[in-house]
Amino acid sequence: LLLGLGAARALRRWRAWRLARREGTWREGMLEALRDPTRATLPRIAAPELAAFLALWNAACESQSDAGRDNLAALLRFHDLDRRALRMLRRRSPRLRLIAITAMGHLKEPRAWRALARFAESRAPVISFAAARALLRIDAPGAMELLAHPFAARLDWPLTRIGTLFEQLGPAQVTRPLVDMLAAKPGGGLDRAMQLARFGDRRRIAPLVRNWLSNSATHPDVLVAALEYAGESEDLPWARTAANHEDWRVRAAAARALARIGGRQELPALLDLLRDPVWRVRYRASQALTRLEGLTPIELEALRENARDAFAADMLAQALAEMKLA
Amino acid sequence: MTALAGAVAWVVVGYFTLMHAGYIVLQAIAAARLRRTRGLRDLEHLPPVHAGFEPPVSILLPVRNQAASVAGQVRTLLALEYSELEIVVVVDESTDGTLEALREAFELEPFPEAYWRRLQTRPVRAVYHSRRVPKLRVVDKEHGGRADALNVAINASRHPLFCVIQPGTAMTRESLRAAVAPFVEDPRALVTAWDARLDEAPTALARLQVVEQLRGLYSRIGWSAINAALIVPPAFAVFRKDSVVEAGGYRSGLPSEDVELVLRLHRVMRSRGQDYSIQILPEPACRKPPASSLAELRSRRIEEQWALLESLQANVALAGRRGGPAGMAAFPFILAFECFGPLLELALYAIMAAMFALGLISAAAFGAFLLMVFALGWLASVAAIALEETSFRREAPPSEMPMRVLDAIVENAGYRQLVSYWRARALIGWWRERAAGG
Repeated sequence: LLLGLGAARALRRWRAWRLARREGTWREGMLEALRDPTRATLPRIAAPELAAFLALWNAACESQSDAGRDNLAALLRFHDLDRRALRMLRRRSPRLRLIAITAMGHLKEPRAWRALARFAESRAPVISFAAARALLRIDAPGAMELLAHPFAARLDWPLTRIGTLFEQLGPAQVTRPLVDMLAAKPGGGLDRAMQLARFGDRRRIAPLVRNWLSNSATHPDVLVAALEYAGESEDLPWARTAANHEDWRVRAAAARALARIGGRQELPALLDLLRDPVWRVRYRASQALTRLEGLTPIELEALRENARDAFAADMLAQALAEMKLA
Repeated sequence: MTALAGAVAWVVVGYFTLMHAGYIVLQAIAAARLRRTRGLRDLEHLPPVHAGFEPPVSILLPVRNQAASVAGQVRTLLALEYSELEIVVVVDESTDGTLEALREAFELEPFPEAYWRRLQTRPVRAVYHSRRVPKLRVVDKEHGGRADALNVAINASRHPLFCVIQPGTAMTRESLRAAVAPFVEDPRALVTAWDARLDEAPTALARLQVVEQLRGLYSRIGWSAINAALIVPPAFAVFRKDSVVEAGGYRSGLPSEDVELVLRLHRVMRSRGQDYSIQILPEPACRKPPASSLAELRSRRIEEQWALLESLQANVALAGRRGGPAGMAAFPFILAFECFGPLLELALYAIMAAMFALGLISAAAFGAFLLMVFALGWLASVAAIALEETSFRREAPPSEMPMRVLDAIVENAGYRQLVSYWRARALIGWWRERAAGG
């Protein structure tokens, strides 16, 4: 076992040393390609080295602008490595498959479209999400049509990652699919779609969000996300209604929405919420009061002094102290 | 008589084989998981998470009579890199001026906190806010122990996740972000924890502890791979607050509240049929010093054994089919090999030695038994060392390789038995105290 351990370590070191040497040459070729892909040279890449080369190439692409990526793609095509990367998609190893999928995205390789669409349906989250990213790189509008439903419905695709993708794509690309998602029937990830709504064009998205806000049958999760999105005075009546919702999470979100889009006229509703039996609602209402447009600290202090409810007075005192510290 | 002795010998051999084979299988599961996740993660090249989606975190720090070190501890926490965090320090009635030290270092002033008593605790005297560091609050309370102080900190915290870091744990600036990452990726995440590696030290005692810890660590990672990690190391853990509150918060009167809490979370989530995940993170992101003397090591192991016994006893309802892999596999395994294991091990060694002394088994059979037990234990230890090397490129210099192997031998032939003796004594002490109504 000791000998085996030593041998394994020696083999690993030798491989790392050999790879480092190869990578040096590959890096030189890639740097040259960034200046002029037609003049860049690469040594012959043997089959066992292809995965390491493509992994390095993927990493290089990630750090480049579109022009740099195009030059690196040209380098691959010039050396016929695009075809070999395409073949690698058929390999069963998740590692090799992931490298190939990512490379297809950077290459914007249309021949990989069908295979990538199939991988995007895979149950493995890493592979399927990588395939979705590759499809978006190849043809963003086409991919958005294909992926709109999974983006909302696939719980194993983290919303944070989708949010980052949507932010990179911009409102021009994501608004239409978001409109489709938000116009769908309840269920199937509507709450997730609502949380992504902020990345779309407000003029087209806001009426759809309002539609869900005004619907008394809307699920609380969707309502909370819709209230976080609400930003126009037309949303105010629905935010006021939500302040009386039976679910405390909706009431807390309503308090924030009222402060964000309302003015002094929301004072009675927020004072009601300040007496809510749930601590978090009272906390949100007190914070909302300190942010309410047109309400001065002196008026807030007077509200605290005159509050008949001890919980409300305590909460306002805390909010005022936080406001002073800020 | 000889036939009976033979049967007993086979039972003894079977027990040791099952135990070491169990550890080796868990290490194999850990290796497979590490290969799958770490290998793919590096190749994903995902952009940083959109900051608006990163959940805010409260770091809880219970302190008592730590006037000399408390400001330094807080400054270490302030150095952690994260988009939105707050630090809640709870002073559990100190008599050495801990609160004054904090007041001086961070310019504390009374804060009119509308304290939310979600968990029942000893009374809170006052809440302070730092004028210098807006994200720092300090709660002064009546003495109630570490668990009570942590419950006060949970009550005072504002964010949906909270992080508890054991004193003496060294970490990197990125540790918190990495520990929160599973919560970003997986809505089922309930707890994530780093298992702190021990600092490398030149003493033999420290090296033996490193070997022992690595073997335990990779078995825990193996359990974690099937969502059955019952013993979560308390060095650095992030919890989903609402779930902890629903489970009743920390329980007072235990040597290690964190171990019991995690077991209870398993039990509560399983009994409700809710999907969840409790993950032990494998990366070496935290460090802690090893015990520097035999007396300190003994006290640590006794405390751990006591915590394990109390925690298992309090959550015995987890065992069984309804407990899923945690109840069907991890609970019985830990009960048999870690809870009662030390006593059983020593008893089985004694039985074999007695049978040999009485001439019921031959010297060759006894020798073969000892050789097999040590060889299996050594294999499990060396496998853990190799796993650490290959997974995280933590290679010792070639000159130290024979020393590592020697450590693995000594760890199994001497050190392990000594630790088992301490643990067995803890088990007997615990039994006696229970019998006396303690």
